[in-house]
Amino acid sequence: MLFHHLHLPVYPQASAPPCRALLLRWTGILLLVLASLLADALTLAPRAATQEPLTLGILPRRNATLTTELFTPLVEYLSKSLGREIQLVTSKDFDTFLQDVKDERFDIVHYNQFHYVRSSAQYRVIAHNREFDRNTVAGALYVKKDSGISRVEQLRGKTIIFGGGKDAMMSYILPRYLLLQAGLQPGDYREIFAKSPPNSLIGLYYDEAQASGAGDILIDLKVVKGSVDTSQLTHLAVTEQLLHLPWAVRRTMENEDAARIQALLIGLEASQEGLAILKQAQMTGIGIANDDSYAPHRRVIDQVMPPSQDRH
Amino acid sequence: MRLASRFILIVSGILSVTLALNAYYFIHSQNQLLEQQLNERGRVLGHLIALISPDAMLSFDFLTLNEYAREVSRQRDVVYGVIVNDKGTPLTSFFNHQDPRVLDALQALELDQETAPLTPPKTARLVARLSSSLYDLLPMEFPISHGDRPLGQLKVGISREQLHTQTQRQLLIQSSIYGLIILFLCSAIFWVFRYNVMGPVNRLMAASRNVGLGELKEVAVTSTDELGSLAETFNTMIHAIREEQAKLHYQANHDALTSLPNRMMAIERLEHELRLARRHHELVAVIFIDLDNFKVVNDTMGHAAGDELLTMVGSRLLSRLRDGDTLARLGGDEFLVLLPRVQDPDEVKQIATRLLEATSERLMLHSREVIVHCSIGVALYPTDGISAEELMANADNAMYQAKTPGHPPTCFFTHEMNVRVRQRLQLEQDLHLAVERNELELYFQPIFQAGQCRPIGAEVLLRWQHPQNGTISPATFIPLAEATGLIIPIGDWVLQQATSLLRHWLDLGLAPGTLAINISRLQLQARLIPVIRDLVTQHRIPANVLELEMTENILLDDHAEISETLDQLQAMGLKLSLDDFGTGYSSLSYLRRFSFDALKIDRSFIQGLPQDEDGCALIGAIVVMAHRLGLRVVAEGVETIEQRNFLQQQGCDFLQGYLLARPMTADAYQATLPSQACPQLSNDKEM
Repeated sequence: MLFHHLHLPVYPQASAPPCRALLLRWTGILLLVLASLLADALTLAPRAATQEPLTLGILPRRNATLTTELFTPLVEYLSKSLGREIQLVTSKDFDTFLQDVKDERFDIVHYNQFHYVRSSAQYRVIAHNREFDRNTVAGALYVKKDSGISRVEQLRGKTIIFGGGKDAMMSYILPRYLLLQAGLQPGDYREIFAKSPPNSLIGLYYDEAQASGAGDILIDLKVVKGSVDTSQLTHLAVTEQLLHLPWAVRRTMENEDAARIQALLIGLEASQEGLAILKQAQMTGIGIANDDSYAPHRRVIDQVMPPSQDRH
Repeated sequence: MRLASRFILIVSGILSVTLALNAYYFIHSQNQLLEQQLNERGRVLGHLIALISPDAMLSFDFLTLNEYAREVSRQRDVVYGVIVNDKGTPLTSFFNHQDPRVLDALQALELDQETAPLTPPKTARLVARLSSSLYDLLPMEFPISHGDRPLGQLKVGISREQLHTQTQRQLLIQSSIYGLIILFLCSAIFWVFRYNVMGPVNRLMAASRNVGLGELKEVAVTSTDELGSLAETFNTMIHAIREEQAKLHYQANHDALTSLPNRMMAIERLEHELRLARRHHELVAVIFIDLDNFKVVNDTMGHAAGDELLTMVGSRLLSRLRDGDTLARLGGDEFLVLLPRVQDPDEVKQIATRLLEATSERLMLHSREVIVHCSIGVALYPTDGISAEELMANADNAMYQAKTPGHPPTCFFTHEMNVRVRQRLQLEQDLHLAVERNELELYFQPIFQAGQCRPIGAEVLLRWQHPQNGTISPATFIPLAEATGLIIPIGDWVLQQATSLLRHWLDLGLAPGTLAINISRLQLQARLIPVIRDLVTQHRIPANVLELEMTENILLDDHAEISETLDQLQAMGLKLSLDDFGTGYSSLSYLRRFSFDALKIDRSFIQGLPQDEDGCALIGAIVVMAHRLGLRVVAEGVETIEQRNFLQQQGCDFLQGYLLARPMTADAYQATLPSQACPQLSNDKEM
């Protein structure tokens, strides 16, 4: 299904929950937090002192320094709250990161939707990002307004610049999905890759390609607006809204631990400290998620990149 | 402009130029170095960015490229840094909006980056604008490539503004420092110059001005340098001037020949002595001494002998004087003696006698014994005068009185002498007017050929009929005329009158014969020739009817000039005769040297004839000698028949005297003249 310039959510609960459900949700969150704190006080605390540290892996969409800077408050919060040391692990690149994921070296991992889909055998999702107050995000194809291209089919034979690599959910897989939907196979156009999704849009601006594949909100990002005149760019096509980046824990982790971590993550919004931690990590919140939440992603990924084409 | 100011100006000018050149060189070098550094910094920066940019360009990492551009643009002195692709399209959009030059360029291009980043064309325009509009911008370009594949360029604009500012600041600092250096050096030089140069120079200038005012002061020599040498030279010059002044003073106040005080010093001393005498009521005697016939010695023995004579006489006179007396030579053969503090005229008389004796002593002059005499005139203070001029004039008068024949060789001044002098002065003034007043008159004394009763001519004589004093003798007024120079116009008048009368008589058909006219030594000059020529021409008379008589002492002067003049007169046809022969001091050689036609024996030789045997012998000798020399002889002063007969017997050619005819007026002489038909007068050769 192809969405042209529409930002409709994939899951209704993710986009416009009713007031009652919202009340129940917050009640549940509160009960979970209380239970977590009670359990921590009664049983986990003595055990924590003797337990091994947990490792937290963060996908390297930013450089390691920035990643550490952004997530250190969260790590400290979790350590303090869990009574167990959390070690933040940063990877120098995606390959290393994915290898560590594959090797299950992380207890807690935050990566993109494609990574989760591919590693869901080892990890189970417990939460998802909320960025810019949005729980979902869509992939999009961009063109320059003066390019004369108004339909995806017109991209045949053209050069399309994608951000990041072929693992990029928003900047590659979803735009590819849009191309597939339009009947364009990989050989029908020329693929080039920019260093990052914003660069793909900037590359389009600088005429390095005739179209760019990236997240639908990318054009509104400050980094892009500060670099190019985005008024000259426009969406050519936008995919359905899909849940944001997932937080997962190793499947071997005990449920109690996973639940406590999930409770801590989604409970960040309830306190000023948590909001500050979220702001530092450039998020506006963290929501509950489970494996079913990423079924649409799996469907798209399976179409665009069947497991046989998976590089891993 | 003063020397010090000019020197300081020159030094400061040289310093300014030198330091300005130095500053220019320094700043230019520093500017080059800074520009080189700037260039190098830009190059390093550009190369670094160009080195790390390919990865970002190949991976389309425009954010990183923009970061590079941002980092480049943030560098000091960098105005802009833009990365363009191989087509020249800018891939970065960052510009430092804090830079006023960027803002100006944006404003000039009407670009606004507030709403959105610049598009590549606008970026390109902005770069072009910045690189072309800023004169002090150093645009640099660095290629970005991957292997051999060109990817694009890094364009960097580096401002020289900081460099210029630094240069200006350096220039200001250096100018200030150099200004202080120049000020300090000029001040130091000025003070050194003032104390070491201008001080001595000013002292020399002041001393030189004083020299101009007659004050000969030495200057202090304060150094051994050139100025010290100059001061020493100046002092040497002062010494030389002093010596020269002393020498001049000596020369101005002393006689060069005898080393005695001269007239000027004599007057000074006399005035000094008079002041003392006036204060102490003393007598002062002023003695004038004039050597008699000194000219004879000078002419006969030469000037050197005359000088030697004066020196010897001076020494002798000095030896006869007291220590306090003064002997001065006034000039020629005149000496002056000052006798201060004399007791009475007798003492003066004794001293004068000693002086006479001293001069009268024989002396050897060029191996010849010579005796000279002198005349002495004495004037006494205060009886004969109270001033130096008066006393000297009176002593001079007394001396002339002493020279007058018949007077003793020593004369004391009397007031009668002044009366005579005044009379003489009056006569001199009257003589000036005598010609105008027609008081002079020609007389003619006929001259006869021996043995003949008719005159062959006449001697022209001059008479002065003074309106008050009656007839004045030529012996009185001719010397006066010669002394005053009036003899020239009077002589011309005589010649004019004589030639006029000749014309008149010839016109009357008379035979006036030859007119012998006396010529003074003052008349015998070159001018006499045209005067006579003009008269002869004017009156149309033959020149040979004129005969010029001159005394022997005429010939004592310049022989060559006189000889030439006489030759020209003879060439004109005039006759020449030597008058008063035997009374003068010339030698007989003159008769041979000058071409005379006749000589006239002086009357003093005739008076004793024929009783005086020596006189008779002398007359005979003169006549024989004259005839041998081809001269005719005229005897003057023939007053007796015996004299006439003797002279005829001795062979005298012509006779003149009271016995034959007295001097007579022109009319009387005209009455004696025969007509031109008379052969005795018409034939000159008979004379």
